[in-house]
Amino acid sequence: MDQIINNLQQFWEYTGFANTTFQHILMICIGIGFIAMGIIKEWEPLLLIPIGFGMIIGNIPLYPGLSVGIYEEGSVLNILHHGVQNGWYPPLIFMGIGAMTDFSSLISNPKLLLIGAAAQFGIFAAYGASLFLGFEPQAAGAIGIIGGADGPTAIFLSSRLAPDLLGAIAVSAYSYMALVPLIQPPIMKLFTTKQERLIKMKPARAVSKTEKIIFPIVGLLLTAFIVPSGLPLLGLLFFGNLLKESGVTRRLAETARGPLIDVVTILIGLTVGVSTQADKFLQVESVLIFGLGAMSFIVATAAGVLFVKVMNLFLKPGNKINPLIGNSGVSAVPDSARVSEIVGLQYDRTNHLLMHAMGPNVAGVIGSAVAAGILLGFLS
Amino acid sequence: MKHFYKCLLTVWVLLLAVGLYGQNPNELRLNELLIINTEDFQDDFGVHSAWFEIFNTGYGTVDIGGCYLSNDPDNLKKYTIPRGDVLTKIRPRQHILFWADSKPHRGSFHVNFTLEESEVLILTSGDGTTIIDQVTLPKDLEPNQSYGRAVDGEGTYGVDADNTGWEILPRTSPSTNNFSLDGKSRSDLMKETDPYGWIMALLAMSVVFLALVLLTFVFKGTGKIALNLTQRKADAYGKTRKVSMAETSGEVFAAIATALHMYARENEVHDIETTILTIEQVRRNYSPWSSKGQSMRKTPSARK
Repeated sequence: MDQIINNLQQFWEYTGFANTTFQHILMICIGIGFIAMGIIKEWEPLLLIPIGFGMIIGNIPLYPGLSVGIYEEGSVLNILHHGVQNGWYPPLIFMGIGAMTDFSSLISNPKLLLIGAAAQFGIFAAYGASLFLGFEPQAAGAIGIIGGADGPTAIFLSSRLAPDLLGAIAVSAYSYMALVPLIQPPIMKLFTTKQERLIKMKPARAVSKTEKIIFPIVGLLLTAFIVPSGLPLLGLLFFGNLLKESGVTRRLAETARGPLIDVVTILIGLTVGVSTQADKFLQVESVLIFGLGAMSFIVATAAGVLFVKVMNLFLKPGNKINPLIGNSGVSAVPDSARVSEIVGLQYDRTNHLLMHAMGPNVAGVIGSAVAAGILLGFLS
Repeated sequence: MKHFYKCLLTVWVLLLAVGLYGQNPNELRLNELLIINTEDFQDDFGVHSAWFEIFNTGYGTVDIGGCYLSNDPDNLKKYTIPRGDVLTKIRPRQHILFWADSKPHRGSFHVNFTLEESEVLILTSGDGTTIIDQVTLPKDLEPNQSYGRAVDGEGTYGVDADNTGWEILPRTSPSTNNFSLDGKSRSDLMKETDPYGWIMALLAMSVVFLALVLLTFVFKGTGKIALNLTQRKADAYGKTRKVSMAETSGEVFAAIATALHMYARENEVHDIETTILTIEQVRRNYSPWSSKGQSMRKTPSARK
């Protein structure tokens, strides 16, 4: 009888119930919240559902030493997490993004690239604020990149500069990307006048196939020679785009933008979620990171909008840019461009800004990858 | 044309060879040596012997197994570093230590000569003829004093090595760096010089702008060239009216394509009539991996 009781006691000690803490329950609730946001509100469901479910998996209380936890070497989750820790997944996602992105709007109106550059100011504002709050420069760099509004870039950089903060940074970046439709419109309206919101932009010219093929090659050469440390992201982004535009590697392009990016998105979302174990995630630092992330998004959006206004001072009347596309300089593709379209239509039902906004939006992807390369170069 | 392709292939192979060169033992350097050891570092047997250090200057692991060590220019293959020993793999930017005690039976890292009577130390690659590095041993070295590269891996090397970059070191450093930085990382330095991130913000934003401004200019130029080419094509077809692609937006093309598509659908036209353009989505329900036709774009044919 004693033996049975002992065995039952031992079994009880192994269960999640015996090892549960308030923090575990809280994290599981946050995970369920993410899933609910993904399903009910349809905010970035492809990311929030894997991350949310990963949070639940990661916060099932475990008896240590079972080799199942994400931080226990050799466990399945640990092996899957290597792609995040060592930064393999983000460049693969970038390849998929390259293979699904049409850079035509950018090629037809190259000055829109500058909006993508201006919006990166959010990264460095958050970097300065993080330093001010007492974070080390490496951690500050990793936190700042949240302002790039690019999940893979944030993961790539934080895995290099501040692996301990990776979970909080990744969740913060993806959360704010999902909240772009809520965060950006008030800022866009705050910094623009009604007259500016009604500006109709000149339609983009048609772009030849040759130009589209040249773009990834020249784009890679120019950006990677300036910031070689951004090579994994820039290299695969432009490679994916060349697969798409060359016209002769359709199968490879379809794989890169279809099954491959889907697989990596599942793995990156799930493992980022799992990595948010209560004991590592529920820290004061995480709260600060969320605050700084919000700040960087707001500054990035404002910087993009204000930069367009400055550009307009130098442009001829027919060539003015609607400042409502300034927000899309943050690289949450295509959500921020969609926000430009929605806000633009609120003031003029015939003023479609989507295709114009896609220019700075994809420029933002390039800009954030360049910014990540610079931070890596300076701080690693 | 064939000659051009041959040249292109040769250049490509050469470039590849240069790339591969970076992964082989040519990255190794003799880095430090101590000739008279009375109270310095001991080997695994507790014996003070002369030692020398080899440094991997590369960023990839190099297996030194199969290379040769010698103190005799006429016999470069005097000591063969055993192959298959996992310890002969030198990790990136790391060192490996050999004992010059003339007792090779004590392990892979005990060579069959000593340094005391030697004039030169030579590291030769696995082909037995290519000298990777060599150093002339100094005569005036005190006991327990080491001679090495002032900065690890830097200075002359190879067959023409003339001890440039070598000096008597202030302290011995077997299996560690001869020269250490002051311990401050780049991150620490940034913290000291730029505590609020202003310099970083200014520098980084300038670089981001520089990269994207360059792209802007390049694609403005490319756009103009593309428009000129389009115009030339149009002229070549004998069109009298000037066609400006800049004035024709993508939206116009999209509208034309949609109209054609809708027209085709409404009239249920199909491919049989040669003059009808049909736009339809191609669906493939089979896997392209099992289809030979998908994997070969063109049937190879012999040129005559």
